[in-house]
Amino acid sequence: MTLPALDLDLEIFSGPFDLLLALVLREEVDLLELELADVVLAYLDHLEGRGELDLETATEFIVLIAALLELKSRLMLAEDDEELLDIEPGEAAEELLERMLQARRYRSASTHLLELFAREAGVRFRGAPLPARLRKSIVPAGEGSQDPAVLGQAMGRLLRMPPTISLRHISTQRVTVAERLHHLRGLLRRGRFSFEEAVRGEDRMTVAVTVFALLELYKRGEAHWEQHESFGDIAVHAVAAAAPLRASAG
Amino acid sequence: MSEDLVEDLPEPDLALVYTIEALLFLAPDPLSAQELADATEAEEMAVIASLATLAERYAPGRSGIHLRELGGGFTFASDPETEDAARRLFSRPRASALTPAQAETLAIVAYLQPVSRPEITRIRGVSADSAASTLLERGLVEESGRSQFGAVLYRTTTQFLKLFGLRSIDELPDVAQWDPSPEEQAELRERLLRAGEARAGGDPPGVE
Repeated sequence: MTLPALDLDLEIFSGPFDLLLALVLREEVDLLELELADVVLAYLDHLEGRGELDLETATEFIVLIAALLELKSRLMLAEDDEELLDIEPGEAAEELLERMLQARRYRSASTHLLELFAREAGVRFRGAPLPARLRKSIVPAGEGSQDPAVLGQAMGRLLRMPPTISLRHISTQRVTVAERLHHLRGLLRRGRFSFEEAVRGEDRMTVAVTVFALLELYKRGEAHWEQHESFGDIAVHAVAAAAPLRASAG
Repeated sequence: MSEDLVEDLPEPDLALVYTIEALLFLAPDPLSAQELADATEAEEMAVIASLATLAERYAPGRSGIHLRELGGGFTFASDPETEDAARRLFSRPRASALTPAQAETLAIVAYLQPVSRPEITRIRGVSADSAASTLLERGLVEESGRSQFGAVLYRTTTQFLKLFGLRSIDELPDVAQWDPSPEEQAELRERLLRAGEARAGGDPPGVE
């Protein structure tokens, strides 16, 4: 068995897998509209039909589908970063040129400095500092980069024991998946509910745990959900006997 | 000593000339006219007149010591003709030569001060750490606060001005004078672009 032999019958495409791949890469099929989960399911059906697992083609399939998934997830993300990825060759050359000119400028300047230095060779100055008794102040006024007072304050703060901070007002939040599961099942008895409604007024932790509970429901086949756009509301409904298996998250 | 200052000066007071001579002899660093005026409690113009008298007395060819205006002030310096003897008297030469890396780093600090080590490295294209440390050790550059990102900033010292015979940092020529001509720049750009295309194999960068 080879991968090209895998025939697909999807919503937006029907034909062999390798043709689909070619079309996606040529951008003739919009990857965003392609349900990759359906491709996987078709492949699994295909495998089942064959009754044997060819490791080589399975590996090939996994590599390809993983690449498609990555590509798709990139497409789904905002495209703000794209400009950063590629600099035009012209731009890169300009930047490099600017840096070369700058380096050259200061290299020439250094030659000039060396000429000055050579011109002054042989000129000596009084090297010894004044004897201490002739100086105005015994401690020379150092021109440090930092204010000593700032250092003093910092040291002072370190030497002081800070008061013990009371933690009494903090209570440990306990939200369990079981609790949220119970809550969701209660809502599910009505047939359907929206996620928004299920977590209204709850804190972030509870919202997160509720998502886990929802996943649990999905895993057990008790509920399905749909989300039509990123960050949009999630509609959850109880599973009727033979609802189409379909994960909109793609 | 600036030419324009010498004209229209009051008759120098000899006592003031001697005092200033003594102060210059004692001071390890250049003294400005203002500092001398404060120390002698004299008018600045009288100090400048005295300095003019001293400059004449300590002029090249008349004395083994010269009065130089360097590093923002006035200081005595030895006549270079005396260097051979000085070298025999003192074990160490006056100042050892600078390596090209040190000279480049010094040039960048001199023109762009205050400037941080990473910035120097960026301009030179190679690390400036060792060169900057040597310049610090030799007292040609010093720390001058920190940049907003916490990097130590460097500036040149009075010692630098003295050793390079400069009155102030403004005496350095405009750095733009060493920039290549527009034609040379255009040629350099052309060569860069060609090299870039050769490396890319003529193909635009593809999607991985």
